[in-house]
Amino acid sequence: MYDFDLLPDDTVFALYVALVLFAIAFVSFVAISLYTLIKMTVYSKKHEDKLKLTPDVAFFHERGKRGNQEDSVYISPLEKIEDSGLVAACSDGMGGLLNGEVVSKYVTDSLKENYPFKFDAQADNAKIISGISDKVYEDFHLSAGATLVMVHISDDLLNFYSLGDSNIILIRNNRATLLNNKQNYASIMIKKFSEGGIDTVDAYKDPRARGLTDFVGNFKCNVQMTSKPMKLRDNDIIIVGSDGVTDSMPLNRIAGHIHSDQNAPGIARMIKYGVKSSKNPRQDNYSAIIIKMRRSIV
Amino acid sequence: MIEYYTFKHRGDALDFSDEVFLRLVPNLTVALFFGSNLKIAPKSQALLFSEILNSEEGCKSIEYLSSVFDECLDEESEYLILRVLKNGVECYRRGGVFAKIVKDGQIHVLPNGFFGLNVGDSIVCATSNFYKYLTDEGILADALVSGSCSDWMNMLIRRISDQCQLKCGNLSAVTLKLNE
Repeated sequence: MYDFDLLPDDTVFALYVALVLFAIAFVSFVAISLYTLIKMTVYSKKHEDKLKLTPDVAFFHERGKRGNQEDSVYISPLEKIEDSGLVAACSDGMGGLLNGEVVSKYVTDSLKENYPFKFDAQADNAKIISGISDKVYEDFHLSAGATLVMVHISDDLLNFYSLGDSNIILIRNNRATLLNNKQNYASIMIKKFSEGGIDTVDAYKDPRARGLTDFVGNFKCNVQMTSKPMKLRDNDIIIVGSDGVTDSMPLNRIAGHIHSDQNAPGIARMIKYGVKSSKNPRQDNYSAIIIKMRRSIV
Repeated sequence: MIEYYTFKHRGDALDFSDEVFLRLVPNLTVALFFGSNLKIAPKSQALLFSEILNSEEGCKSIEYLSSVFDECLDEESEYLILRVLKNGVECYRRGGVFAKIVKDGQIHVLPNGFFGLNVGDSIVCATSNFYKYLTDEGILADALVSGSCSDWMNMLIRRISDQCQLKCGNLSAVTLKLNE
């Protein structure tokens, strides 16, 4: 218990003044904070479309249970995003063929040489990829090959290119969607079966189902590409990766494994450990580039 | 020029009870009837649906047609009528059949009424059973990648097949692309 009557009048007055000043300061602080918060919310809502979507990028590149690393990744220089956009690519050397690592490395090195790519020249970019494939064909005559998935992001637009069965995954609203179509025999069989009005169970049982119908190293290959760009949104997550990731971690598990508020390195870490924890005894090489889109003034 | 492709599949059902109707003149008219969702006499309702459309010869307005359908068909009937006009598309839907439009790199559900179209726009009309296995992002990506309506449809079917091996109910859909 305190008895303020014992204090001198001056001290009591000083205490009252201090108390009043503290109250004023506290009320002012709360008012200014509220005002700033409201202003910022209104501003960002009003200018949401004008604020740029910027990519946050991370990657992992793991050998799995294989003796050698046949995956290769390429990320364009981040300081050039403003002028030439972001290009991220992953190439996976075809298993069972020799020189998988040589071809996948050659593919990503060639992309690096050809950077920057024109964003709106999708057909020309596909021609460059087709040229890389023809060169591999000339050198190896189908004895070696690789898959390729590549995304090109400029502001809030995305173009993608694909050859083979690697993955470009978009996670939006906690739901994962594979954007590219796999170029394998299963697609041909599914088309035939569906046209014949029957179910497609046998298409997946066929031993040739996973065999590729197109890949880097095929002569005059058919590059799958977006003819027009796709619009990206704030918090979209794009995963450009080899099938070693999805073989051990299906799409729904990937979406369930990550949180929307994580940054790209955090997401990369979660997926990497998710694949590792599946303890697949025949774990293929697994590599992926994670791109998280964030709206920002910078 | 409008390009289109239709897909009808029985799935694992005994019969195909949906109806996909197409008329090319005087305007391209696409109509989808979701019969497989009807409990009573889906076949006869589907037949009645296409007979009404056959008899109007493409000259009646969508509003008039929808009022006829409301009068003649079972009240739980689900259907969509879409008519491509000179500079746009007119759409009327009821229940779990709808059209989605891919425009400027985005996908939207086509609302009832008139909607303007531009070269390069793509539309998919399908029953909710078809959409059940698809995501909007998947439909959008396939529309942007595919060179033709049949390519687009085959990509969508691959996605459905990857999830259910087409062992699902009736699947009915039409893809349309507006080319130069």
